[in-house]
Amino acid sequence: MNKNQLYLKVFRIKKETGRVKSFFFKHELFAKPGQFVMLHVPKSGERPFAVLEEKKGYFSVAVAKVGTATNILHKIKVGEKVGLRGPFGSFFTLPSKKGKLLFAGGGYGMVPLVFLALAAVKKGFESVLLNGAGTSGELMYKTFKHAKIKMHFATIDGSKGKKGTVVDLLNDVLKKEPKFIKVYACGPELMEYEIAKILWSKKIPFEVSLERFMKCGIGVCGSCCVDKTGWRMCVEGPVLNGEKLKKVSEFGKYHRLASGKIAYYKNGQVK
Amino acid sequence: MNNSVDLTVDVCGVRFKTPLVLASGFMGVSQSSLSFIAKHQAGGVTTKSIGHIEREGYSNPTVLPWSCGLINAVGLSNPGVDQSLPHLKEMIVDLKTPLIISFFADTIDNFVKVAEKINSLQPQFMELNASCPNTKSDFGVPFALDASELRKLVAKVRKKITGRTKLIVKLAPNVPAIGMMGKIAEDEGADAISAINTIPGMLISVPMRQPILTNKTGGISGRAIKPVALKAVYDLYKKIKIPIIGIGGIETGEDVLEMVMAGASLVGIGSAIYSRGLSVFSKITAEMKKIMGEEKIHNLQEIKGVIHE
Repeated sequence: MNKNQLYLKVFRIKKETGRVKSFFFKHELFAKPGQFVMLHVPKSGERPFAVLEEKKGYFSVAVAKVGTATNILHKIKVGEKVGLRGPFGSFFTLPSKKGKLLFAGGGYGMVPLVFLALAAVKKGFESVLLNGAGTSGELMYKTFKHAKIKMHFATIDGSKGKKGTVVDLLNDVLKKEPKFIKVYACGPELMEYEIAKILWSKKIPFEVSLERFMKCGIGVCGSCCVDKTGWRMCVEGPVLNGEKLKKVSEFGKYHRLASGKIAYYKNGQVK
Repeated sequence: MNNSVDLTVDVCGVRFKTPLVLASGFMGVSQSSLSFIAKHQAGGVTTKSIGHIEREGYSNPTVLPWSCGLINAVGLSNPGVDQSLPHLKEMIVDLKTPLIISFFADTIDNFVKVAEKINSLQPQFMELNASCPNTKSDFGVPFALDASELRKLVAKVRKKITGRTKLIVKLAPNVPAIGMMGKIAEDEGADAISAINTIPGMLISVPMRQPILTNKTGGISGRAIKPVALKAVYDLYKKIKIPIIGIGGIETGEDVLEMVMAGASLVGIGSAIYSRGLSVFSKITAEMKKIMGEEKIHNLQEIKGVIHE
């Protein structure tokens, strides 16, 4: 683990969607699907990002343009250096028994899931990926093709795939093909929460990645601790299984802001 | 052999199961995070400092590890005392370990206001953070660096600490004579002293040609500052009678015993959560028992301040 900051040159940049770019670095990170790194660019500050893929000799990180810091990150050019710490946090785990797996991603929540699905098919798991976003243009991996991965799409405006959310798509798929042994979800928290409720009631094992405001990334500052367990989403999380999630009383309800103040989710929005 | 070793400590009439107290600024954002630490065998816990208004703190990077510890400029992020009161109340009711509520403000008047509000909840301990090094740009020089300002501050706040609540004053290491600052706090009515806060410092990135922290400078904690903390506690013990919480770079059982020998009744644990994980409290406890068994030390009172004899 690169605990102290390390400086790496960007050797390739790929545009994933209108607002997501992936940055490639020639470095062995030994990251597992679901883990994250802290990227630091001068004047943009330091933020956590999920690892997109790791292959022999290089890895990549996906950055969605969502605010000032990520705007500055998007201006980084090939050959420039960024500061990096990580990988940090818990990671997705594949079942010990073989069977069919379902991956449900919303927006750039697809990032760790594709990393995971590629690892799963390599180990012989049959994999179905549900890929949802607001519009066709916001879908990541729209043209992703893999012989052993089946991908279904959902968009809120109906511009590609099912008209609706990933949750609607998940309900459809579970009706048609009920035999999934495990589900993995990553996306906006209220999407994850809806999926969790379905899977708890159907008693299907699952894991989700839960995002919280992070400062240190190394388990000391307490910013990303969740109620009531106090687990740190940078160490005990971000990936939690369904059983552990039952103990996270704030899941789907609220989160803490930079100051530590509680902000509630209401009608899909932060109040 | 280890069964005969007693790690309990009584400070200001409160019993601590072990002398290991979570230091302020680490993990202490909520009842949940403090309970999580308490479950990992902390002898006591301290909240992050609560101020008179909400503060977001500085933007990241705010906390960074380096080769001999951590540096941080979190910037006293906190929801503000009014938002915090119900959560502090929950902590006071639910936590099974002794609780220290840390507080700060920008002026003496605001310090007094925050103190009064928190005191209304009657916590066991309140720690006056007179020494955070990350607030200079907003607040001028920390109170703990100026003897006459410190005297005024402690005297005014003391008047608002009533009932069962005990007042701890947290001091800064970067003063000419910390013993004298401790004496001032004691004279003005402090019940205990915490020392030391972090030492001001900075890290610089060569590729970026800039300081790494967003705030440029921050506070150094961890292994690097242990000898400084030992000397501070040594100086304080010579000058004051009230209990001392020794903080700074404690990572092992041996470190704790050194700090107690310098004069500390309790010790703070912070950066070691990073270097040794959350099990640091149980690890240190086991190490203390082992060394105390070997050294035939039955309890901590036996060795407290022993180097002064």
